[in-house]
Amino acid sequence: MFFYYCDLAWRSIRKTPMLSMLMVLAISIGIGITITTLNVYKTMSYNPAGDRSEVINSVQLWSQGLDTWDEFIPSITYMDAMNLRNNKELSLKAATYRTGLALQSDNPKIEPVLNSVRLTDRDFFRIFSVPFIYGSYWDASVDLRPAYQVVISQKLNLRFFEGKNSVGKTLFLDRKPYQIVGVIDDWNPQPKYYDPLNGAFNDAEEIFIPFSLTGQEEFDVWGNTSGWKFEPMITYSDRLASEKVWIQFWTELNTDEQKQSFLGWLTRYVEQQRALGRFTDTAKIPSESVQISDIAKWLEDNDVVPKDNKILVGLSLLFLSVCLVNILGLLLTKFLKRAPEVGVRRAIGASRGQIFSQYMVEVGMIGFIGGVVGLLWAWGSLTALHSYFSMDQSVTGLDASMWIITPLIAISTAVLAGVYPAWVVCRTKPSVYLKAQ
Amino acid sequence: MLSMKNISKVFKTDLVETHALRDFNLEVNEGEFVAVTGPSGSGKTTFLNIAGLLEGFTSGEFSLDGVNVSNLSDNKSAKVRNEKIGFIFQGFNLIPDLNLAENVEVPLRYRGMNASERKRRVESALEQVGLGARMKHLPTQLSGGQQQRVAIARALAGEPRFLLADEPTGNLDSLMARQVMELLENINQQGTTIIMVTHDSELARRAQRNIQIVDGQVCDFSMYQPAATGTR
Amino acid sequence: MLHIKPILSSLMRSKSAPVLLLLQIILSVAIVANASFIINERLSLMQRESGYAEDQILTFNLYNFDPAIDNMKQNQVDQQILRSLPNVIDASYSNMLPLSGSGWMDRYVDGPDADTAKSTPGFAFYLGNEHLLNVMGAKLIAGRNFTADEINTSLDDSGMMALVSQPLAKAFWGDESPLGKTMYQGEQAVTIIGVVDKLQGAWVDHENFEYSVIQNIDFGGSSSNKSYMVRALPEHIPALEEAISKALYAENPNRVVENFQTLTTIKNLTYSNHRLMATVLSIMVVLLLLITALGLTGMVMFNIQRRTKQIGTRRALGARKRDIIEYFMVENYLICIVGGVIGGMLSLVLGQQLMSLYSLPMVPVIYPIISVIGLLVVTTLAVIVPAAKAANISPAMATRSV
Repeated sequence: MFFYYCDLAWRSIRKTPMLSMLMVLAISIGIGITITTLNVYKTMSYNPAGDRSEVINSVQLWSQGLDTWDEFIPSITYMDAMNLRNNKELSLKAATYRTGLALQSDNPKIEPVLNSVRLTDRDFFRIFSVPFIYGSYWDASVDLRPAYQVVISQKLNLRFFEGKNSVGKTLFLDRKPYQIVGVIDDWNPQPKYYDPLNGAFNDAEEIFIPFSLTGQEEFDVWGNTSGWKFEPMITYSDRLASEKVWIQFWTELNTDEQKQSFLGWLTRYVEQQRALGRFTDTAKIPSESVQISDIAKWLEDNDVVPKDNKILVGLSLLFLSVCLVNILGLLLTKFLKRAPEVGVRRAIGASRGQIFSQYMVEVGMIGFIGGVVGLLWAWGSLTALHSYFSMDQSVTGLDASMWIITPLIAISTAVLAGVYPAWVVCRTKPSVYLKAQ
Repeated sequence: MLSMKNISKVFKTDLVETHALRDFNLEVNEGEFVAVTGPSGSGKTTFLNIAGLLEGFTSGEFSLDGVNVSNLSDNKSAKVRNEKIGFIFQGFNLIPDLNLAENVEVPLRYRGMNASERKRRVESALEQVGLGARMKHLPTQLSGGQQQRVAIARALAGEPRFLLADEPTGNLDSLMARQVMELLENINQQGTTIIMVTHDSELARRAQRNIQIVDGQVCDFSMYQPAATGTR
Repeated sequence: MLHIKPILSSLMRSKSAPVLLLLQIILSVAIVANASFIINERLSLMQRESGYAEDQILTFNLYNFDPAIDNMKQNQVDQQILRSLPNVIDASYSNMLPLSGSGWMDRYVDGPDADTAKSTPGFAFYLGNEHLLNVMGAKLIAGRNFTADEINTSLDDSGMMALVSQPLAKAFWGDESPLGKTMYQGEQAVTIIGVVDKLQGAWVDHENFEYSVIQNIDFGGSSSNKSYMVRALPEHIPALEEAISKALYAENPNRVVENFQTLTTIKNLTYSNHRLMATVLSIMVVLLLLITALGLTGMVMFNIQRRTKQIGTRRALGARKRDIIEYFMVENYLICIVGGVIGGMLSLVLGQQLMSLYSLPMVPVIYPIISVIGLLVVTTLAVIVPAAKAANISPAMATRSV
């Protein structure tokens, strides 16, 4: 019976080509727009941490003075970072920030390039499950006593060492020799959840060096340095001693008990710092001056999904509903026009259910065609977004889930639009249209 | 075969109440060919709609083939229409998008018959009305008489117990009308009960039995015959 | 004469079709009003004059990684090299690039005592030398520029001077001239010596975008990583990129010269989000109107088909062609206006939602009104063709049994 309905539906669609095209156009445009915005939203709101989202936590401290910033800042000061690094309770912990250094190797043929470099502790690689192909992260002792060691990406390894195991070899950063201890496999989480502050869809760094080198080397900070009071940074040690915030701090907390215990530790830490004359915002009690954010909260707080995108998703859903109403009207028009035929079919013995099914199959078919065309629109517009608005490929690539979401939206839109017209037409009285033609 | 007892049908609107049928009684036996006549507005169409289970009625009792069909659900009456009744309309009412075979096939589809059985029945039904060679034609490519024969084939394909014909020759010229009438008589002789509504008294006279409806009631044929001829 | 009453009662009797039309118009008005408001807002953001000679400014990044380089000296030498290149109008160090989305933000206070002093609004804090103003193409409207011997090289030097943008001056000093005023950063005094007509900061969405200060510090010597701005005529810029790299590498090869961008490119990149939003919303509005119009045409055509006999009868009874057209137009306008009013209210509700959720400004009432008018025009176009066709229905239709 289903194939009979399909056959009838296809004939009916072909019989009124303009009307059918109009309906397919309406539904496909509605779907195209919705899928485009949803796709961008979906990829932007993706949580790369997966089931470790609640385990990985960043730390925010209310170190600002009274009447200055009115919210937690994602970064912390160097002083606080150093103190947190010394917390023995935390099993895994890493401070991190970004700099840029000129990269050279023994290979004189490769010109020096200015590369973005991440400073961090060895636990960073464990917290974020960074995959290694050669070697590993540096030894725990390096986090205490700085050593010129480096972890590089496979891409750099290919460029400088032809992809061979380069552990033990040397790279020059700002003309200083760094010994390679590990090479990481392809690793480029999107969004860049461990540091969305400098462009949430930038690529991951390809060079990682020990955080402990900070101070010994005067690395520029590539990222926001924010201060809430006037503190000139004449020398690098001014920076390190300042209340300016520019470092992110990550830790792994597996259970609620661990989280509570760590929050308690942080609270005591704030009390202790107050005694030393820091954390001067007296409007906040110490326990309100500390915050840990898991990845979901962290991505939300840092506006990884731009507001514009959320507005567009909302508007495109409204747009889709206009298309839905439009199709509803057209379907009603079309089906009512076919009432005489329905009368005949009813007289010949079709039940209401059979008529209803016949028309719902037709509606579903329009929805299906609309969905396919809509997917093409979406693909086209995403490609256009990529090429004309330099939107990142990772955001404009069609998300795999869209292959399920699109037909789902298409069919349910069509069904929503079709139920009423099909219901109206299946209730056609068989006797009414038979007498005269 | 068909038995109507005290059937009444009242149409109500905000303003008026119209009695289309009142205390309508009729018995039709198996194998009969009954012609129903009557002036326009007399209730012929209402009778046909009720007899064909296309419409319900207000009160009374109706049984078909020994089964009480007075208060059937919509689904059940659709099933009865599909299996026991064949319809022939004045306007043919073929589905214009379907070719002849597909038109004839429609009731069989709703019966859920398998493809080979459908094919056999469609071919034999079209054969019977003399259109076996034109299965792939569309209704619009045929003359009125041919279209009506297709409609008859459609009614026959379901092998119904009885046929309801509503002015089957009303839209046809006299030659074609005669052909159609002969076809119906033929079918009747093979055992199918036929009820035909018409206002053509000449046609009516060819039936075994004549009934006249006046003001929603069956009138004795002999009593009203002069008046009936007068209406034509 | 418009016979609204019979049209209205006929509309009331036929249930679903007008309701659907109404619904579609309500939603359309709500969307179009809010979308066009956002579009207009973004366009006006993008159309702001920057005050810079955008297409004449080439920027690039320089990174000295040779520890032997004395950045202080090298900075002076490099700027001399840049200025002496052929076709270069002027060149200067700048601690931040205008419109780029990253840079320094700071405040001044009007006294040395932090507790009592009043603070200026936050402003973009440019550090540069006497060439910067000329490189930017910014217009000095009061006071004077720095002179070469007034340029400091460190943040804690004395003799600090500043040029302020006119909007900042207006915001803090009102009609009073800021010239000669002394402001403070901590205990350090800064004298205002000039006012610049227009000097935008780095963050195009910031409310203080027009508030900027240039202070007399050539900070290029304090760090190995810095950016320079070079001014030249647009036609000379492509060739300059190579010339600059070549000259600077010749001076010292142990550095990275990269990231050449004109200010036009930077501006386009920074505004690309807004351009994207405006484009997407415009496309949405156009498609919405198109779909609404086509849907309406389809439905009117159907209605006319269904009412062929009725129309024929009206014609037979003496209705003129224009009466028939008028009938359909009035019917349409009735739905449109009712839908417009409800849709207008809905769009204000929607605007309220957007305002509270995404801190967008509130939609002014004029937008729903314009949207309704626009929709009236579109639906007129959509209805008039089938209505004219309907008017051509022959009065003989009345006698045909349909």
